[in-house]
Amino acid sequence: MSTGAIAFWLASWAFVLGLAAFCFHRILKLRRHHDPDGIGPAHPPQHGAADDA
Amino acid sequence: MTNNGTSSHESWGTRLGLILAMAGNAIGLGNFLRFPRQAAANGGGSFMVAYFIALLLLGIPLMWIEWGIGRHGGRFRKGHMPGMFTVLWRHPLAKYLGVIGLAIPLFILIYYTYIMAWTAGFTVSSLTKDYWGLATQEQMVAYLHSFQGIGGSPYHAPWTPYLYFTGTFALVLWIVSKGVSGGIERLARIAMPVLFVFGVVLAVAVLSLPAGPGGETAWDGLEFIYRPDLSLLGSPTVWLAAAGQIFFTLSLGQGTLHAYASYLSKEDDIALNGLATAATNESAEVVLGGTIAIPAAVTFFGVTGAVAIANGGSYNLGFATMPVVFQQLPLGHLLGTMWFGLLFIAGLTTSVALITPAVAFLREEFGVSREKVVWTLGGVCFLFGLMHVTWLGRGFLDEWDYWAGTFGLVVFAIIEVILFLWVFGPDRAWREIHEGADIRIPRVFKHVMTWVTPLYLAVILVWWGKDDALPIILNRKSAGSSAPVVPADEPYIWGARLAMVAIVLILAVLVHRAWRRNGYDSRKGFVEGTGAAVPSGGSR
Repeated sequence: MSTGAIAFWLASWAFVLGLAAFCFHRILKLRRHHDPDGIGPAHPPQHGAADDA
Repeated sequence: MTNNGTSSHESWGTRLGLILAMAGNAIGLGNFLRFPRQAAANGGGSFMVAYFIALLLLGIPLMWIEWGIGRHGGRFRKGHMPGMFTVLWRHPLAKYLGVIGLAIPLFILIYYTYIMAWTAGFTVSSLTKDYWGLATQEQMVAYLHSFQGIGGSPYHAPWTPYLYFTGTFALVLWIVSKGVSGGIERLARIAMPVLFVFGVVLAVAVLSLPAGPGGETAWDGLEFIYRPDLSLLGSPTVWLAAAGQIFFTLSLGQGTLHAYASYLSKEDDIALNGLATAATNESAEVVLGGTIAIPAAVTFFGVTGAVAIANGGSYNLGFATMPVVFQQLPLGHLLGTMWFGLLFIAGLTTSVALITPAVAFLREEFGVSREKVVWTLGGVCFLFGLMHVTWLGRGFLDEWDYWAGTFGLVVFAIIEVILFLWVFGPDRAWREIHEGADIRIPRVFKHVMTWVTPLYLAVILVWWGKDDALPIILNRKSAGSSAPVVPADEPYIWGARLAMVAIVLILAVLVHRAWRRNGYDSRKGFVEGTGAAVPSGGSR
């Protein structure tokens, strides 16, 4: 590969992987709204009126 | 996700599940078939520069806009675009503009599921080595035709395309019938890790291929995609191709992101979640999508051969070239199974999103149970899908793909940007996106969303309108290629257009009836938290 192609390749990968790493680092660090025990939401989803129709 | 009673009927089980489902919606066949072809055909490095600029000015801003519209609509228990647009713009016309956001995902669902069915057939064929021995791309194209029902292909019975289409459609409907958390989210939590594992294995396998017959390797394929030919940055075609790819890959302008976001409460973050969704999709596209198909094609067919393959279209690359490559590799049948399995999973997680807006509309406005809506609506869509199976070779699918899956997306995106940023107002829109946010979006994006994004969309719309839409509607150009329409195909093409118009009209009538049935006054909007009509003399 040429130097220019390697530069574009690495820059592209670094940008998308860096963005993903930033986002998931923030999400995991904040742990807000996170499912603490892995068994689902703290309060089960409400059933809408349509479900009972 | 929390459910405090202000969100729509259902809610997501976990934040990770939400992001995976949103990413699953975005990650589709285009990530692995369309992206590498576009990059290779549009100057490699030049395309990547235009691609990332489009991501920043168009993709990510629209992602936040669609999440914002969706969650805001969810506060009024509206998981569908007619309701969401009425919330933004209290005008009788708003609900009819929203019909576009109901129709587009249904159109795409109908033909996209058919393409998925081909990947299902090829997954089985790879595992059983059914196409082993078909050593040329021409033979593989004929083999693909046996799953498409074109030209009396000798490889499978004539009913094979119908069988796979029926099975694939039934699977999509069954998953959606299980609900947002129990069906769509559960699928995403299982399918997305599998998709990434398959993608990584395939990328590593391709990069470790020995030199091909012409001495080229996969690294020459990467050079082909990423070569820094910056001279093409002056070409409008490259910028339009990059903007188009960003649009398709992030599933923008379809009404599906809105529907998913409507199942959030106002305390839930959308700024970081939206960005994480875009980042996950981009990782799948740039890192995995760019490392599999084109590098493999270059290794075995050389750069010249890969150019010809890329210009031949995404289907040739995925369904004709890759199987020829797999036959020459150790454990090729397993790699082939992974490749087509990956495409099938990518399609499946997108398809379940495509039917969600219409399901939400019928449930919320007509009070019908989820299962009944899914199987009834799905049955009608299936019947329209049979037209695609029967008349694929007549340009039926290409016509739907162009008007719904290409041109329609941009039209819908312009409408939603104008309603959210201009009518609802940039300050309210900005506050809405930041409510419950885990990150502060740089303020420059407020101006980007308000001015740059709509301008960008308008340029795309005018350019595509001039170059494609006008010649296509006049039948001077085929929707699937630049060749003129064959006279014998014209009745089918007009039939495809009439079918689309009929669906739009039916949806418009249903929206009109829903408003009358529920006593909605478009100028008053809905009651927050219940979605009911505002009582006479009241205001939301």
